[in-house]
Amino acid sequence: MPAMKVRRTSTIACLGGAATLTAAFLINASNGQQSGGLIAAARAAPSSSATGGAGSGTRLPGHNVDRNAYFGDLHVHTYLSFDAYIFNVRATPNDAYRFAKGESIGHASGFDVRLQGGPLDFTAVTDHAEYLGAWKEGNDPNSPLSKLPMMQGMYSRDFGEILRAYNRFIAARRSNTIPPELADPAITSRAWREVQDAAALHNSPGRFTTLLGYEYTGSGPAGQNLHRNVIFGGARVPALPFSTLQSGDPESLWHAMDEWRAKGMDALAIPHNSNGSDGLMFDSVRRNGAPVDRAYAELRARNEPLVEITQIKGTSETHPSLSPNDEWANFEIMERYIGTSVPITRFAGGYVRQALRDGIIYREKLGVNPFKLGFIGSSDTHNGAPGSVEEPNYFSKTGLPDGEPIRRGSVPPGGAKIWPADTPDNRNAERPYQAWGASGLAGVWAEENSRDAIFAALRRKETFATSGPRIKVRFFAGYTFSQDLLNRPDTVRQAYAHGIPMGGDLLASKGRAPQFLVWAQRDPRAGYLQRAQIVKGWIEDGQAKEKVFDVSCSDGLKVGANGRCPDNGATVNLKTCEPDRTKGDVELRTLWRDPEFNPRQRAFYYVRILENPSCRWSTWDAIRNGTPPNPKLLPTVMERAWSSPIWYEPSR
Amino acid sequence: MIRFSNLRRSPFLREPLVHFLLFGALLFGAITLASQARQPVVTIDAQDIEQLAKYWELQNQRAPTRVELAALINERVDEELLAREAIRLGLDKEDMIVRRRLAQKMAFTSEDVAAIPEPDERTLQAYFEQHREGYAIASRVAVQHVFFSRDRLGEPPQAASTLALRRLKAGQTVLGDPSLLPLAYADITTADLARDYGEEFAEAVDKAPLGQWVGPVISAFGVHLIRVERRMPSEIRPFADVRSQVKAAWLAERREDENRKFRLALRKRYKVEIAGLPQ
Repeated sequence: MPAMKVRRTSTIACLGGAATLTAAFLINASNGQQSGGLIAAARAAPSSSATGGAGSGTRLPGHNVDRNAYFGDLHVHTYLSFDAYIFNVRATPNDAYRFAKGESIGHASGFDVRLQGGPLDFTAVTDHAEYLGAWKEGNDPNSPLSKLPMMQGMYSRDFGEILRAYNRFIAARRSNTIPPELADPAITSRAWREVQDAAALHNSPGRFTTLLGYEYTGSGPAGQNLHRNVIFGGARVPALPFSTLQSGDPESLWHAMDEWRAKGMDALAIPHNSNGSDGLMFDSVRRNGAPVDRAYAELRARNEPLVEITQIKGTSETHPSLSPNDEWANFEIMERYIGTSVPITRFAGGYVRQALRDGIIYREKLGVNPFKLGFIGSSDTHNGAPGSVEEPNYFSKTGLPDGEPIRRGSVPPGGAKIWPADTPDNRNAERPYQAWGASGLAGVWAEENSRDAIFAALRRKETFATSGPRIKVRFFAGYTFSQDLLNRPDTVRQAYAHGIPMGGDLLASKGRAPQFLVWAQRDPRAGYLQRAQIVKGWIEDGQAKEKVFDVSCSDGLKVGANGRCPDNGATVNLKTCEPDRTKGDVELRTLWRDPEFNPRQRAFYYVRILENPSCRWSTWDAIRNGTPPNPKLLPTVMERAWSSPIWYEPSR
Repeated sequence: MIRFSNLRRSPFLREPLVHFLLFGALLFGAITLASQARQPVVTIDAQDIEQLAKYWELQNQRAPTRVELAALINERVDEELLAREAIRLGLDKEDMIVRRRLAQKMAFTSEDVAAIPEPDERTLQAYFEQHREGYAIASRVAVQHVFFSRDRLGEPPQAASTLALRRLKAGQTVLGDPSLLPLAYADITTADLARDYGEEFAEAVDKAPLGQWVGPVISAFGVHLIRVERRMPSEIRPFADVRSQVKAAWLAERREDENRKFRLALRKRYKVEIAGLPQ
């Protein structure tokens, strides 16, 4: 691809040139006109397209008016992120897309990695906008950045040095002493251009979709996690990402996004790791100290329609203390600030189910719901390895420090064959790699695999999250479904015609009770399904309540009087990780009525699908090492999928 | 000459001291003028200021205030002065970063200068014809299947499918189980089928004769009987659908051509001597 090479040089030249030239370029790009025919031209090799969709009016292969499930990863870091670079990751955005498409790439620890479950359908590279590309450039001894005291010791392969370097960065960030040279817009622009080039190269409508994005790495005053990924709908993007170096208040980001939208550049922000926010992510108080009001709720809802409910650094659906009656709430829970051992003390405001409950209360009080959130999962890989959340094929997410089992506590130390009696519980250690989960994929229902169709699905929240397996889940609500809906050949067509899909609003209908269609299918390469559940939240006497209903059981079992499916008896052999192949279903399907439905109560409903138990990644690591699993860790997980909610809107 | 003779009439003007002073004053004036003319000028014009402001706005999402703009301009002046002084002292020589930046800037400038004319339709069509494979859609099939779920509680899927296949071949209709995936596809690639059902299913579809029910085909979900209705070979997308991509690719190639030509021309303008290589 000689054309590519020249284009890149030209970009560097342009940005590294005189200030006037740089400014001219940036202004051009911000208007959406790519400066210099060449930059625009080289975007589209014959095999790829710079635009999202197919040609005018053409339907792509596989187009389905009833919509297909597509799986992807919307949280991916490469060597352009400062932390990934410190962690010795050298995978480029180009490598990340190659990995997503099923190719193998190199890992910082020296081995090659590759997806076992086949290519993903879509991916967004989302590097940290702050100091984007600076660590990479600083590693060039000819770069003036390499002379900065800050950068000394940043490029070590020694584990201790790496962690010290990372901590030094975090400390400098907190004390605001990071040299401004590292945020030189020319450097950021070069890296941002590299992200755009890789996305343009790999976007191929009908086969694989790339989305442009970046991470806005915001924090509360004590380091509470307020991170968001910004995902763009098209190839036209701002000249520079809006980062926390401009403002650490997410409201400023949303205002910037409003301005981009006015210029025809639609984007949405997806918060993640609310579990590490210590209650700030969905707080009742804004960052400026004012209470949540209607204008804030509108601004937030407009810009943040989705939340990343699960990823490697834990699952944020709910916490056992917030959902004491949910037996499955304790799933890959992280109770520490990100990257430190500081304990979380406020779970409310940090978990999604509680936010949904708070959201419907706000809807009553303000007229707008600021937390009307659809769900996705994603990996947050810092290895440039989208979708690397497969339990049997797990290599964690931060390069050298956790790339090998011994580093993440899944095999006994010192080459021992057994675990010492005093094996510590390191789940809450400073770097709790052993508590991290192989979790997080994004699912969307879209007509075809194109940027336009997938972004539209994200916008309307017709999305779902999984803990890694490609479980497909459908969810509809309506008042006029025919009673044979489940046994018709056109179930989905009818469901769209007479109902609304996940992510939508169900308006009240003369006091009638709605019906809910729940339909899930196993990942053909993973385990069998055990049960389908509906999680309901509603307002009763001014309080938001929640309840988990089992709605469909595997193996022909019926929901018992206690509202639960009986145990289907599925087991997994912990010596081989071989599951019981006679238990569980390939599909779960039901038409459900809420036995407690009250037409006057505002409510939300979402689906949770549970697989049979299967080996956790730490058990797979142990088996490959010929040693028992770490006794301090759960040997199995119940993989799962979550649909976006449907909101019931009572008439006033 | 006449004037000169007039001057001679005045005794004052004939004084050598006066000549000396006059000459000195003239010389002083000339030197002052000359040195002022030699003082280099740094101009920050309106366009520069506008660009500074816009660049700032890009980063901060609002226009700079008057004070901020003044600071920006001041910074810009300092930068220019330092840069000029550095060049005057020859600091740009033998500096790899400066050299690299200049080279990159030249490459970029040369691209901008050599404007590529708008290609006409015939040119684009010809380019499209030359690179047809690049605009192909993979081969696809129209296929339907009857599905017998592994979950069914009565008759096991394998047995049910055997009976059903017989009935289908006899032209009778058969009711299978519902599936979350479509039971009929109008236009699907085998790659998509492999993703959703597994390799075995995709291979069976690949091998199936047209218009006949075949099976059983085992997937991760159960047993399928399949019938391929149509095969659509890999197909070149029509020019009209891909015109913008064709144009982009054509422009990219022309740019690269221009770049190559420019570099070749430079090679001719300069004599390149490399140690150890024959001249």
